[in-house]
Amino acid sequence: MEMKAQSKWSWLVSAYLFLAGLGAGAYAIGVLAGFAGGEWAGISKIGVSLGFPCVLVGCMFLIGDLGTPSNFWRAWRRPDTSWIARGTIIISIFMVLGVIHVAFWVWPFHSLEDANGARNLVGVLGIIFAFGTMIYTGILLGAARPIAFWSTAMLPLLFLVSALSTGIMAVVLTSSVTGATHGVPLARLAWIDSFLIILEILVLFFYLQATHRVPESRASAKLVLTGSIAPLFWAGVVTVGLVVPLVLEIFAVGAATGTLALSASICGIIGGLFLRQVVVSGGIHAPLRAGRFEIALPA
Amino acid sequence: MARYGFVIDLKRCYGCYSCQVACKASNHTPKGIDWARCVPAEAGRFPAALRQMVPLVCMQCAEPACMEVCPTGATQQDENGIVTVDKELCMGCKYCIMACPYGARQTVEKWSTYFPHTDGDLDPYEAYAKRAWEQKSGYGMATKCDYCMDRVREGRQPACVESCPAKARYFGDLEDPESEVSILIRRERGFQLNPEFGTDPSCYYLPPR
Repeated sequence: MEMKAQSKWSWLVSAYLFLAGLGAGAYAIGVLAGFAGGEWAGISKIGVSLGFPCVLVGCMFLIGDLGTPSNFWRAWRRPDTSWIARGTIIISIFMVLGVIHVAFWVWPFHSLEDANGARNLVGVLGIIFAFGTMIYTGILLGAARPIAFWSTAMLPLLFLVSALSTGIMAVVLTSSVTGATHGVPLARLAWIDSFLIILEILVLFFYLQATHRVPESRASAKLVLTGSIAPLFWAGVVTVGLVVPLVLEIFAVGAATGTLALSASICGIIGGLFLRQVVVSGGIHAPLRAGRFEIALPA
Repeated sequence: MARYGFVIDLKRCYGCYSCQVACKASNHTPKGIDWARCVPAEAGRFPAALRQMVPLVCMQCAEPACMEVCPTGATQQDENGIVTVDKELCMGCKYCIMACPYGARQTVEKWSTYFPHTDGDLDPYEAYAKRAWEQKSGYGMATKCDYCMDRVREGRQPACVESCPAKARYFGDLEDPESEVSILIRRERGFQLNPEFGTDPSCYYLPPR
């Protein structure tokens, strides 16, 4: 009996999960950098500013995947049971807070630039919803119970760590390209990110290890490790997304040069997208059982 | 008030696909959508291998996973336990397709003709089917079996039950202890597929030989 992976959720969904995580991660890093103050002010502005546009573009991808996109605005109506509805509400509040936070710095609200109390309040609320956004992307998939590869407590954790890591790398990339900040904060961010990558490798290992319990998630793991998704996993996620940025960042800490951090960030960000795609395209429904007979659902 | 359900007798089914064809003819489903399906299953290994055909329909679960995850409220359950999709509300997120353990929900993007080698317009019969489908459902949204409620309201049986030449399918009210389906489930040890998902399906199977 051959079990087939789901094909109804395409790479558009992966792109959404990736961008929602990245945007929320960058925003959270931005707010935390803002609390540190001083030389971190530039980093903070970049991180906070990345939040809203990244999540918005991500939502466009998700709407693109809908069968009847004109109905997208109904997505929030059943938060009592549906994780898409809950996520829609979390992400909408996050985007509103993201816009308000940035508005403190731009015309015509420039006079509020020094309103630190109000900005910190928005930041604290925003960071709560940023974490909600990062974690919910994992819970969203997990609510599809027949797909054991998704329905695991490791997935929200994996997406959270990846979101924070890609968020940091998006901040580093943006500040390197725009030349807005350099020196100590950037090197420090690369240092923090290398720990996040090590954590992500561990979480990814345990996530795959936890697939052994039922045949459908074993089939998913096989697909990812040795099957048709294996090239994307080993080359895209493991090599480009984790090993290369980790090595580059460890060197970047010593050298404190922009080019290394820049290359590490580009690789790591692409790897984050590949990770979502591996997880989404590796989902396999549980076979049906009638007595001794097992039935693989037609794809 | 009733709880409509199915009983499918696995020892009677010989896999002729009448149910699948009758469903298509009755519901005008587009290419790629089969609300009633017949799928082959195997058990054991050669030389002690067994083959069994397993007909599938929507299980009209008492606790539908599809309704739980539906973000728009398009998925609803009527007073007879039939789970339906409101085509005006559905946004086509396909979350229900992921959450349904029984593969009961499907979606298509467009009508693709059954006769691709003929040029130009659809023939009148296919054009009729296309119109009927667009009236009932459409493209992009989730679609599913509703146990032929239009026929049941007229006092008829669902198309797949009526057409089954092996008499392997029974339709009736599970809440009525004297109904044919209830008696069959009791007497012949009817079981549900994958009860571990906790959706309490209204489709029961009688054991194969």
